[in-house]
Amino acid sequence: MRRSLSSVATVVAGLLILLDLLVVNSSLGAAAGALQELLILLAAAAAVGGSAALVTRHVRHLAGASPDRIGSIVLLAGMGVVLLAGLRPGSAGASDPVVLWLVASLLVPLATALFAMLFFFLLAAARHGMASQGREAVVMLAAAMVAVLLLLPIGGPPGDLLAAAADWVRSVPLAGVFRGLLIGVAILAAVTGTRILLGVERGSE
Amino acid sequence: MPPEAPETPETAQPRSFEWRRFAPPIALLLLLAVAILLPPGLQPGDLRLASLDRTRVDQMRAVVAGLPSSSVVLVGFDPDLGTYPEIRGTVRALLDDLASHGARLAFASFTAEGRALAAAEIDRLVRRAGTNGETAAKVLDIGFISGAEAGMVRAVTSIVPSAVTGPLADAIRSRGGGIGAFDLVLIVSGGDLGARSWVEQVGSRLRSVPMVAVAPTFLEPELAPYLRSDQLKALLATLREGVAYAEEVPVSGAPRDRAIPALPMLAGMLVALGWLAVAVMQRTTGRLGPGTRRGRAA
Repeated sequence: MRRSLSSVATVVAGLLILLDLLVVNSSLGAAAGALQELLILLAAAAAVGGSAALVTRHVRHLAGASPDRIGSIVLLAGMGVVLLAGLRPGSAGASDPVVLWLVASLLVPLATALFAMLFFFLLAAARHGMASQGREAVVMLAAAMVAVLLLLPIGGPPGDLLAAAADWVRSVPLAGVFRGLLIGVAILAAVTGTRILLGVERGSE
Repeated sequence: MPPEAPETPETAQPRSFEWRRFAPPIALLLLLAVAILLPPGLQPGDLRLASLDRTRVDQMRAVVAGLPSSSVVLVGFDPDLGTYPEIRGTVRALLDDLASHGARLAFASFTAEGRALAAAEIDRLVRRAGTNGETAAKVLDIGFISGAEAGMVRAVTSIVPSAVTGPLADAIRSRGGGIGAFDLVLIVSGGDLGARSWVEQVGSRLRSVPMVAVAPTFLEPELAPYLRSDQLKALLATLREGVAYAEEVPVSGAPRDRAIPALPMLAGMLVALGWLAVAVMQRTTGRLGPGTRRGRAA
């Protein structure tokens, strides 16, 4: 079996974390803790790297003849404003009142407004799908209609009937399919994890 | 100035086309606005959004009622922007319920979206407290914790950053400084790191701290087994359960703040049903489909 450096690192890290969960040992705990810290640093570095790549891409858009220059300007200005608010002298960083105001009063309402348009987009997309797709779109939208019908917020005996039917759909067929998917994904993840831990790579089979 | 060219059918057509395109969304917006603004006396009385089955509502209320006095509750706030409107009312009712039981709340987020929404929610709580410093002091903003699930594991032993100060932060540090310092963990789910991650990463390492969750409906099939296995002590995971819970909690603030009215929801759902029914009917009668003019345009 030929093992690459990344496979060895994955195996060592995985076994260390597993052993830390199974065995109570302070040295093992410290080693696993150090590994977790390293992972957190790597995640932070990836986030910074991602942001830098985004800035580079949009600066290149501005320098070139991109059709969405306004979008790039808005994105870079937004990043600049938040960075300025968080990094200016005397700022409390991410918990600075200016940063919090930008997030709570600007970012969240804007995102909420964007998501509020989903209703219209979904209806338009449903019709679009019906016009351009095959029978699958009809089946999917018919199922969506049944779901909406069952969730109608009406009272009285018809409402009770609909609510009971909705509960049954959610807890029997839907839960069955969903859990089947989850179990399948979990088995696949376990198999993949085991293959990595054992060093069985695709090329070595 | 040259005389204006007379309007021909070719130039008039786009204008009417634009009007036809924008009229339905505007009419729908007006309909929803009327449904929202209609006084309660004029709304139909036989609408019901709340769940009839109160089992999960009672479970959640029992957990909150069983908290010790001056308890410290960690709010793991990681919903996503798309599904948060579904659980916003429930979350606010639950925060009110916890506050009315004297709980002190510490907010922490492991996702960027969750952090943004937590900042907005903390801002709302602090603004509502106004000059009442005592209420504001019961809320602690731990902030964003980086590292995703690795950050969650580290939070088991240390969750309050050194830069975070105040009486509540000191109280948490004096109890050990990790998630074990809390009497309850309330998980607001929806994003990548939800109740499942909490059960897997925190619950497996720290069995002593009870966990409850609020989640949008799509996560219910995933989280219901954790409720049955007692890894979650309570779960509110559908809109109906959330509304039922909010109805049970005494309203301390503005009722509009958290109530989800049934009438606009019914109006929107009926419009969606009608729209889909027309599309399905047109498709089955051959007026809409891949071979038609509209289909080719799509």
